[in-house]
Amino acid sequence: MQPGQDGLGAGIDSSRGIALAARGVTKRFPGVVATENVDFELRHGEVHTLLGENGAGKSTLAAMLCGLYQPDEGQILRDGRPVRLRSPRDGLAIGIGMVYQHFRLVDRFTVAENVVLGDPDQPAVLRRVQIEDRVAEIGERFGLPVDPRALISELTVGQRQRVEIVKVLYRGADVLLLDEPTAVLTPHEADTLFDTVRAMTAEGKAVVFISHKLGEVMAVSDRVTVMRAGRVVGQVATRDTTARHLAEMMVGRPVEVETRRGAGAGAPAIEVSDLRLVDGGRTLLDGIDLTVHAGEVLGIAGVAGNGQRELAELIAGIVTPTAGSVRIRGTEVSGGGAGAARRCGLAFVPEDRLGTGLVPGLSLTDNMLLTRPRSFFVDRRAARTEMAAAIDAFEVKTPGTESLARVLSGGNAQKVLLARELARLGTEGGPQVIIVSSPTRGLDVAAAEFVRGLLHDARMRGGAVLIISEDLDEVRSLSDRIAVLYRGRVALEGPTDALSVHDIGLAMAGVTAALDEAMPASGGGC
Amino acid sequence: MRVKLEHRLEQRWWHSAITPLAAVIAALVVGAVFLRIQGFEPLAVYRALFRASFTSVYGITDSLAIATPLVVTGLAAGVAFRMNLFNIGAEGQLYAGAIIGSWAGIALAPHLPGPLAIAAVLILSAVGGMLWAVPMAVFKAYFGTSEIITSLMLTFVALFLMRYLIFGSASFWRDPSSTNFPQGKKIDAAGELPLFGEYRTGWGLVVVVLVAIVVWVIVRFTSAGYDMNVVGSSPKAARYAGISTKRVMMMALLLSGALGGLAGGVEVAGRAHALDPNGLELGFGFTGIVVAALARYNPFGIVLVAVFLGGLRNAGAALQSMAGERVPVEVSLMLQGAILLFAIGAEIFVRNRLRIVRAAVATR
Amino acid sequence: MNNSAIVLTLAASVVAAVPIALAAFGELLSERSGVLNLGVEGMMLIGAVCAFQAGNSTGNLWLALFVGAVAGAALSLVHAVLTITMRASQIVSGLSLTIFGTGLATFVGKSIEGVPLETDFRPSAWGPLADLPVVGPVLFDQDPMVYVTIVLGVLIGWYLNHTRAGLAVRAVGESPATADSMGIGVARVRYLHVVAGGFLAGAAGAYLVLGQVPSWSQDGTTSGLGWIAVALVVFASWKPLRVLVGAFLFGFSRQLNFYLQGRGVDVPAEFLSMMPYLLTIIVLVVWGSRDLRRRVGAPAALGLPYVRDER
Repeated sequence: MQPGQDGLGAGIDSSRGIALAARGVTKRFPGVVATENVDFELRHGEVHTLLGENGAGKSTLAAMLCGLYQPDEGQILRDGRPVRLRSPRDGLAIGIGMVYQHFRLVDRFTVAENVVLGDPDQPAVLRRVQIEDRVAEIGERFGLPVDPRALISELTVGQRQRVEIVKVLYRGADVLLLDEPTAVLTPHEADTLFDTVRAMTAEGKAVVFISHKLGEVMAVSDRVTVMRAGRVVGQVATRDTTARHLAEMMVGRPVEVETRRGAGAGAPAIEVSDLRLVDGGRTLLDGIDLTVHAGEVLGIAGVAGNGQRELAELIAGIVTPTAGSVRIRGTEVSGGGAGAARRCGLAFVPEDRLGTGLVPGLSLTDNMLLTRPRSFFVDRRAARTEMAAAIDAFEVKTPGTESLARVLSGGNAQKVLLARELARLGTEGGPQVIIVSSPTRGLDVAAAEFVRGLLHDARMRGGAVLIISEDLDEVRSLSDRIAVLYRGRVALEGPTDALSVHDIGLAMAGVTAALDEAMPASGGGC
Repeated sequence: MRVKLEHRLEQRWWHSAITPLAAVIAALVVGAVFLRIQGFEPLAVYRALFRASFTSVYGITDSLAIATPLVVTGLAAGVAFRMNLFNIGAEGQLYAGAIIGSWAGIALAPHLPGPLAIAAVLILSAVGGMLWAVPMAVFKAYFGTSEIITSLMLTFVALFLMRYLIFGSASFWRDPSSTNFPQGKKIDAAGELPLFGEYRTGWGLVVVVLVAIVVWVIVRFTSAGYDMNVVGSSPKAARYAGISTKRVMMMALLLSGALGGLAGGVEVAGRAHALDPNGLELGFGFTGIVVAALARYNPFGIVLVAVFLGGLRNAGAALQSMAGERVPVEVSLMLQGAILLFAIGAEIFVRNRLRIVRAAVATR
Repeated sequence: MNNSAIVLTLAASVVAAVPIALAAFGELLSERSGVLNLGVEGMMLIGAVCAFQAGNSTGNLWLALFVGAVAGAALSLVHAVLTITMRASQIVSGLSLTIFGTGLATFVGKSIEGVPLETDFRPSAWGPLADLPVVGPVLFDQDPMVYVTIVLGVLIGWYLNHTRAGLAVRAVGESPATADSMGIGVARVRYLHVVAGGFLAGAAGAYLVLGQVPSWSQDGTTSGLGWIAVALVVFASWKPLRVLVGAFLFGFSRQLNFYLQGRGVDVPAEFLSMMPYLLTIIVLVVWGSRDLRRRVGAPAALGLPYVRDER
């Protein structure tokens, strides 16, 4: 394919050659098609953003471009020639380097040691000074100041990311894939990163930028390819579009789900006030004030990693807050461990089902016992009856109540865990308050509807429900009220029916009111 | 092409029975190789071994006598190992139990009526083993210090302590009449576990089988045992469910120590009747690890394996007097180790199945 | 003064330190690649028995040492297969290795119990250097293995910190997933270092009979030295030069017994014999606590089997 034939919008220097392209690539994983017939191209000196929600297929596409995965169909072209990349090492050998979202660094190594780890071009005896000089030189050239002799464990997250970029540049990459690089950065660090990206493109290097944050996408990229559910839904030049337009392309039409609302709220069941959590110098939650009443469902929306998991663990008593208080049905529970919260009538379905919610090495019956009240002997017979009932009700696929939880598939593990925590919810003597992470993730349509029904019933019986989910449709279908978490703070809160999908989407993407006003096309007055 | 291990979705009952059997057979084959190298006739040795331990009433009861302490040391290792807590110092806890138990046998037993005297020896020996396990348990639960090394080091300390009490000083435990060859003072006859008639095994066997049942009940039917299962299988899930992992770890290690100590009590009350300084040569504490691992930490399995290994050990003496060739007693030690290694290897095939994959799969 | 009890004790401590250091070096290599091997005691015993046999049948000291080392390496290969390929628990496998090694060594060694060894390592003086006060007998009048051990400590430190291969070893022990993603063969590195560890443990056992007590007895030959070596690696924060220092300390604590008895100090011998073991516990509690372990340098992936994450 010749450059210039695609006739894309003005502002793209189409005379530059295509550095890297994907043609009709499809990648399937057991049970899911991660990307389907995707086309993508990247010119020398260009920043090309892959935009999409979690699970849209952006990371899978990037993984195929760098050699981590091999496409099932279609091909990858480097400078117009088809290539077969068997590993990231193959990718690096032809100048394609990936900066992963989860850093691949050895904590106790120095920066320089990490940079040359596994580099086949190094001599058998390392020349430390030479390596350090070159690392410093690359850092200077691209605005990535980093001390080559510093230990990774002493660096901030932003500095670690610089090391990842230096690592790729050191091996001579001229195509860089950055997988959600700003997810872990402060706004200031993100700005520094954008300067680096500009310095790289100025030298003719090409950058694939993966993100779901509209503001920065608008700021840094030349072109944007939007993905949804494994397919490309559009490609635009940044200067021809707006954040609002991109948001609509990214989210698409909301899927229609039956919506249920509660009858009215009762007494406060969960009261969180001025909750703050600082871990390892990072502020994970800050100034959270939330109340969930009896007979009410509060949905926590937000992109993963904005403090949802921490919030759930704080309320459930598993983590002790840095400051602030958590009261469950009037009793202060923070700092009392998970037992204290449970004794106050809390049930909890954590996001990691096997290993935190369920014990993999125990039978299903024994897993039923985990959060039941204790006496000297365990009542296995009652647990077995309950489990058998749950298996029937949820159509759990398992040989029986005595098989190990370990062998359950993801969806079935989820059903068992939900069955245990939901079965007695809102009943006499059972738990009255529940926190559920992604209640219907991984469930088939019927099971998902069944779970929604259970949560609804619990609410109608006077139970208080806190749902945490990245799936906005799921949150909207059940919640009476919604709170959006962004960077550990409540960015938006209100009754579900008073908030538009659009507003929630923007709050999730971290588009502040100020930025929104700056866009001529986006009116804030829904 | 490469070989891949995959989790088996289902485990059939015969998988857990076939593992130890296969391991025993494989170990016998390897043992045969070493026997041959040392110039012995393997089949003859094995035949003699079997005959000595399992074919006559005296042989069987002698095997059971050796199996008796092995049951308790096996339980000691078992309750800890199943939680991934590796108390390998049952040997030292046994010595500590023997020290306290024999003290009770000398000082308390004369003043107590029959069954109470025996109970005092046994219970206090368990307390002794538990106390000896306290540093290991506390350091493990609160500082994360490796219980493996602490428990083993304490074993050596216990050994020297015991030697000091008998050889190094005129202590309470030493028989004052034995000056040239120092020996332990006999415990009062009231503290002795009676034997079955003229045989060498006795009520000690009944006691340890009862203990195995109690341990089984604790592990299987009580909330404490349930918590131990949860912490052993997934400490994180335990934390999420509000179970204190520290408390449960301490509890399991102390129970393990108490069982180790009880083994000392069973030895003192049932067989030695005095503090026996040549303890390490018995090595019951270490063999307990083999017993527990082969029985896959199941209390009843532990009883069975203890009898089997007791027989193996008992045969040692018989082998030495085999006509023509004198096979060292240590052959049973080697066989134990080999059985254990093969059992670990075989375990992999119980939990997984091998699949041969042609060409590398697309996902790396 | 070079014949004073304290100087002789120090010189003997150096000799006593050699097997502890060798075994600890081996364990250090294995642990740095992420594999805990609790079979040291078993590998040392096998090394000792085989070296003894080889020494008496060939009369060649160095060949005997090599045979002992190879025997240790062979045993460690069992551990490597079980833990790396078959992903068995490193703890259970290591314990079993010790039990098997002890059993096999005692069985094989039965025929040589009480037999004297015909050949052993002898100290050789460095000319006038050996006459220097204190340091002369302690450092310049020792057998060759003392110097081999010291050089080995320096070499291992250099290998781990300054070579490309050493960098890969440390990466595998710290973060096998990272090493794997950087194209390093995790299993290959681990196999090599577990077997190298067994080789050194075997050599350590060999030295016990070839250099210290030229005879074989099951409980007298190692008496828990292998376990002390395992603890020493923790004490030394996984650093070879600190292993040397620590080994000397432990060696000294073993010799203290004879020294104090010689001076007529009235401490029961049994209590002095407990010293190295109590010292080990104290050292572990102080240096081996969970938080401190992280800080002082325990390989982060120590004890964990590596399975590549396949989606």
